[in-house]
Amino acid sequence: MATKRAKLEEILAEKGMPINFQYGGKAPEQMVDREVKKQPCPRVKKLKDLYFQTLSSATVEFPYWYTRKYQELEGEIPVVRRAAALKHAFSHLTPTIFPGELLVMGKAHYYRGSFPMPWLSEGYFMVKEDELYQSALNKGSASADELSKFGTGGGNVTKSFGDVVSIAGKFGMRKEEIPALVKLAKAWVGKSVDDLGHKYEQMIPEYQMKENIMKTLICMFDSGYTLPQGREVINYYYPLQYGFDGLIEMAKEGKARVAGRADGDGLVGMDRLYFYEAVILVLEGIQTWILNYAKEAKRLAGVTEDAVQKKEYEEIAECLEWIAHKQPRTFREALQLTYTIHIAVLNEDAISGMSPGRLGQVLYPWFEQDMEAGRITEEEVLELLECHRMKFTLIDCFASMGVVGGVLSGNTFNNLSMGGLTRDGKPATNRLEMLILEAAMRNETPQPTLSVLYDEKLPEEFLLKAIECNKTGTGYPAWMNNQSAIQFLLNQYGPEGMTVEEARAFAIGGCLETSAGSWMPLTLNGKKYEIPGGSGQPTSVGVHFIANPKVLELVLTNGKDERTGIQVYPPHNKKLQTYEELWETFKEYYEMTVDCLTTTNNIQHDIWRKNNMAVFNSLLKPDCLSKGHHIGNLGYRYNATFNVESCGTVNQINALTAIKKLVYDDKKYTLDELKDALLNNFGFKTAAEVGSFSLAEQEKREDGDKYDEIYGDCLLAPKYGNDDPYADAILKEYEDWFCAMCRNYESLYAKPLYACQISVSTHAPQGAATLASADGRLSGTTYADGSMSAYPGTDRKGAYALFNSATCWDQTQSQNSQMNLKIHPSAIKGDEGSRKLMDLTRAYMRKGGFHIQYNVVDSKVLKDAQKNPHNYRDLMVRVAGFTQYWVEIGKPIQDEVIARTEYEGV
Amino acid sequence: MTAQKGLVFDIQGYSVHDGPGCRTLVFLSGCPLRCEWCANPEGMEIRQQVMFSTTKCRHTNLNCTRCLDACHQKAIELSNDENILKIDRSICRNCETYDCTNACFYEAIRLVGKWMSVDELMEIFNRDRQYWGQGGGVTFSGGEPFIQKDFLLEVLKKCKKAFIHTAIETTAHVATQVLLDTFRYVDFAFIDIKHMDSQKHKEKTGVGNELILNNIAALANSDWKGRLVLRMPVIRNYNDTDENVMSIIRFMKKLGLFEINILPFHRLGDSKWKQLGLNYLYSDEEGTSEEKLDHIQDLFLDERIACYVAHDTLF
Repeated sequence: MATKRAKLEEILAEKGMPINFQYGGKAPEQMVDREVKKQPCPRVKKLKDLYFQTLSSATVEFPYWYTRKYQELEGEIPVVRRAAALKHAFSHLTPTIFPGELLVMGKAHYYRGSFPMPWLSEGYFMVKEDELYQSALNKGSASADELSKFGTGGGNVTKSFGDVVSIAGKFGMRKEEIPALVKLAKAWVGKSVDDLGHKYEQMIPEYQMKENIMKTLICMFDSGYTLPQGREVINYYYPLQYGFDGLIEMAKEGKARVAGRADGDGLVGMDRLYFYEAVILVLEGIQTWILNYAKEAKRLAGVTEDAVQKKEYEEIAECLEWIAHKQPRTFREALQLTYTIHIAVLNEDAISGMSPGRLGQVLYPWFEQDMEAGRITEEEVLELLECHRMKFTLIDCFASMGVVGGVLSGNTFNNLSMGGLTRDGKPATNRLEMLILEAAMRNETPQPTLSVLYDEKLPEEFLLKAIECNKTGTGYPAWMNNQSAIQFLLNQYGPEGMTVEEARAFAIGGCLETSAGSWMPLTLNGKKYEIPGGSGQPTSVGVHFIANPKVLELVLTNGKDERTGIQVYPPHNKKLQTYEELWETFKEYYEMTVDCLTTTNNIQHDIWRKNNMAVFNSLLKPDCLSKGHHIGNLGYRYNATFNVESCGTVNQINALTAIKKLVYDDKKYTLDELKDALLNNFGFKTAAEVGSFSLAEQEKREDGDKYDEIYGDCLLAPKYGNDDPYADAILKEYEDWFCAMCRNYESLYAKPLYACQISVSTHAPQGAATLASADGRLSGTTYADGSMSAYPGTDRKGAYALFNSATCWDQTQSQNSQMNLKIHPSAIKGDEGSRKLMDLTRAYMRKGGFHIQYNVVDSKVLKDAQKNPHNYRDLMVRVAGFTQYWVEIGKPIQDEVIARTEYEGV
Repeated sequence: MTAQKGLVFDIQGYSVHDGPGCRTLVFLSGCPLRCEWCANPEGMEIRQQVMFSTTKCRHTNLNCTRCLDACHQKAIELSNDENILKIDRSICRNCETYDCTNACFYEAIRLVGKWMSVDELMEIFNRDRQYWGQGGGVTFSGGEPFIQKDFLLEVLKKCKKAFIHTAIETTAHVATQVLLDTFRYVDFAFIDIKHMDSQKHKEKTGVGNELILNNIAALANSDWKGRLVLRMPVIRNYNDTDENVMSIIRFMKKLGLFEINILPFHRLGDSKWKQLGLNYLYSDEEGTSEEKLDHIQDLFLDERIACYVAHDTLF
C-alpha cells in the first residue's frame, strides 16, 4: 500500500501537481498505516484484559470508617467533623496494587471498586427486600429508577448471583457486607442530605407540584443529594506547586492569621479558622492514604521474585513517598499525583463529571523538562498515558440506578480538554497533547473522554491528529467551540470579575459543560509557567433535565399526566384557540417547573453545603485557600454555576411545529382531534409492548387505522433539521425565550441560573414516560438525543441543511448545545477523508455551532452487536456527550444510536 | 433571474467522493446512455417518476391502501396472490398529479425529480458553501448533465460568477462544441470511459464510443485549464480485461492524460431498479474483487498513470 501511495504521488509530482496536504510534512509511509487500528502496549493490554473480566464492585470500607468517626464527633463544628471523618476513612482504606500497574491507587480496594455514601442518601442502594428501600420507592425520585434501564452486559451487575448481591442496579457487593451496609444506612436515616433536604423542601408552598413533577418524570432527578458535585474542572495546581506539606504549612499560617478575627465579615469571617483546621485534617488523611499504598508497594517488592516487577514496585513506593509530601520532580510523579488528587476528590463526594481539564497543558512543565534532560522518552510517556486511560476507565460512580443508569449510562465523564488558547491568546496546544491523542488511539477506552477546544488559531497538525482519532470510531474527541464558550463565560461570570484572559482558561467539565477556569503560576526548577485549572463550582447542578415534550403534553392534557393519573400543574382550563395561547401556556407551565425545582434544589444544596461541604475539592480551587472559605461560603472564584437542563428539545420543537401547522395554520384538525390521536398513540402499541424504543420498529394495534390520516400528517409536517424556516423559527423563538428565562431564577448562592442543553442519557427514560407527541413520535419511544441532533430519520436534506437549522439561534446564550452525527466509515476514508471531516467540523464551528461529535460506525455493526453482545465487549459508541462500551448501555439508547441518521458522504 | 428550470433528481450535501474537498452534488435527470449496471436508474429519463419501495410499504402488515385510494389513474392494484401492491407503469406514465406520493405516510411511494430554477439551486449552493471548507464546491452529475445543457450552462456561469468551484461527472456523449463551450465554466471533470471497443461499448450502454473518445481528445487538445480525471466502472467479463485496460492506457498516453479513477462494481442501485418497476440484470453480480482492482491499478501505475481505486483518491 505504502509503495502504491508513493507511486501515485510521484506521478502527480512529475506532472507538476505536488501533493501539498500531507499534515506535518511526514513521509508517505507514515501516513498510510494511519487507517490501521492501533494496539495498546503489552502492559496495558494485560491491564485492559483484566478490566474486561472485572465487574463493578462495591464495598462498605470507606463509609464504615467515615460513619464511625462522624458519630464520635457529635457536637463538633460541621466542617471539622466532616474533615475528621474523611481523614479517618482515607487513613483506613486498604491499599491494593495490581501487577503491571505503573500508576496506582483507586477508589476502593477492588480493581473496579466504589462505595455508597449514605450521608448523602441512604435509601436507594438498599437491597429490595429491605423496608428502607420500600419507603424510598414511595418518593417521587424513585420514578427515574423504574424507567431506567442498564445495559446488561460488560461489568454491570444487574442481578444478584452466588454470594454477590446486586445493589443500585449496577454494583455487586459481597453478601456478608450487606448487614453492615444496612446498619450504616440506618445510621444516616433522618440525617443524610437527602432526608434533611426532604424535610425542608416540603416547606416550600409548591412542594406537592415538585413531588408530582418527579413522579411523572417531567424532571429526571434531584440535584443536591445525588451528585452534588461534578460537571466541573478539577484544579491540580496547589499540590503540584506546593506539595501536600507546603499546603499544610499554608493552612497553619492561615489559622494563625484568622483565629478569632472577623476581618470585617460579621457573618462568616470567623468560619475561616474552622476551614483551615479542616484542610489540615483532610490533607493529613490523604497523606496517610498515599503512604499506605507506598507501604503496600514495598511489601510487594519484598515478596516479589521477578526482578522487573520487583523494581517497578520499588519505583512506585519511591514515587508515592515523594508525592505524599513534596512537589513532584518528574513527569511520572506529576501524573501519579494528579491521579491521586482526582481519586481523593471522587472519594470525598458522589461525583460524576469531575474532569481533568487541560491535563496536557497542566503537565507540560514536567514533560518538557524530562524530555530536555533525557529522563524520559516519548514512548515511555505514551505508556504512562495509556496506563492513565486504564486507571480512569476503572472509576465507577456510585449513585442510584436512575442516576447512574438512566442519566449517565454508567459513564463517569472525566473529560480531558485539549487546545484552546493561552492567556495571551496564542494556541495552547503542545506536543504532550499530541501524545495524549496517540495514547487514546492506542488504548481505546471510554475514560477519560477527550474534547478539542476548537479555535481558528489551532495548528492544522493538531486538528488533523484529533480527526484521525475520531476515525478510530471511539467517538472522541468531541469538538467544542472555543470562541463561543468564551462569550458564554464572559456573559455569565463577568459580574464576578471574569476577564477575557481568564475566560481563555476554561475547559469542559463533564460531557460538555463549559466550566470556568483560571491561570495559575507554576514554578518548576526555577522556570516559570502558567497552567490552567478549574476555578468554579460544579455545573449541571440545580434543575436537572426537564422533559420538554412532556411539559407540552401536559399543556394539551390540562396539566394532568395521563400515564400516572396525577394532576401535576394547576389546570389552565384554556381553550388554546391560538398558537400564541398554546405557546404562552407552555411557557407558564415550564416556568412553574423551573421555579419549584430551583427552590427545592436550593434547599438540598444548602443542606449539602452546611453538613457535607467539599473540603478537599475546595482547597484545590482558587481562591479557597487564600480566602479561608470552602465552596459553601463562596470560597471559589466563580459561583454562578447552577443551571437549568432541558431534554427532548427537538421533539418538542417538531411537535409545536406540527401543531401550529395542522391545527392553527391549516386548520386540518382540531386540537381535540389531535389530542385524541396522541392519547391513543396514533393507533399503535406501546414501545414496551413491542420491545423496541426506536420509532421505525413500532407496531400498530388491530384497530389502529382510524388515526392513519392524522398520524401521516404529523409525520409529514415540517421538521427541524431541514433548513425549513417554518420549523426553525419555532426553534429560535424557543431558544431565545429559554436561555433568557433561566436567568430569572436564582441559585442558593444568589446567582442567576443559565441554560444547559445536553441530554446525557435522559432522553431514554424521559421518552419512556412520554405519550405520543405531535411530531409523530410514538408513546414511550426515546427522544432525539442532545439538543441539536435531528430526530432520527427526519433530517432529509443532509448535514448542511441540518447545520443551518442548528445555527439559526445564538448558541452563545447557552452553556452548550449538542450535535451528534453518525458517519459511515467509508465517508472519511484516507487522508482526504480526514481533511474533509475536518472541513465539516470547522464549518459547523465557524457558523456558531457549539459542539459536534461523531460516531464513526456502520449501523450494521451496531445491529449485530445488539444481537451478539458477547462478540462486542470492546465496541465503543458515542452517546449524547460521552463514549461508552456498547454492552454497558441500555436498550432504549442502543435503539436510538442505531436509528440516528447516518451520513455516508455520498 | 431566469425562467428556465432544470429537472433535478437529488441534491446531496457533504459529498466527499466526487471532486476535491467537501461538495454539494446535484443530480440532473436524463441520460443518452443505458448502461446495464447503472446505479442511478431514476436519472435515466428526463421526467418525474414514481418510485415504489415494497419494503417500506405497510400494506401487507397494516393493510394500508392509501395510495391505491388516491390514484385517479387506477394504476395501482392489489396483487391478490402475494398480498402486495403493484403499479402498472404503462398507466402510471401518463400521470401528472402523482397523488399517490402525497398519500403515503411511510415514504414507500415517492416522486423523484423536481423542477428547479437556477436561482433555487444557487440558494442551496450559497447555503452549503458556508460548510464546504477549503477546495470544495459543486459537482453536477446525473443522469448525464449535458442532457439539460442550457440549464447546465446557465448554472455553471452563475457559479463561476459567484466564485464557486465547479466539477462535472459526464459521459461526454454530447456535441463537441457544446462540451468545449460549457467546459469554460468547469474546473474539474470526471469523464467515464466504459470500453475502448465501440461495438462492446454499444452492447452494454446503447451507444458507441466514437463521440466520447473524440470529445476527450478534443478536450485534451484544447486550452482548457481544468483537471481531468477519467473514470472507469469495472464490470466483470466486460471491460476488466488487460487488453481493454492497455487500450485505455495507450489512449491516455497519446493524449497526455495521467489520472484515472477505477470504480468497483456495487449493487447499491439494485433496489432503485426494482422501485422503478425495472428489471436489473446485475442483481446477483458480486462486487469487484480487491485482487482485480489491485491488478488493474498496477497496470496503470506501471505505465505512469495515476490510478485511484474507488474512494481512495488524491483530491
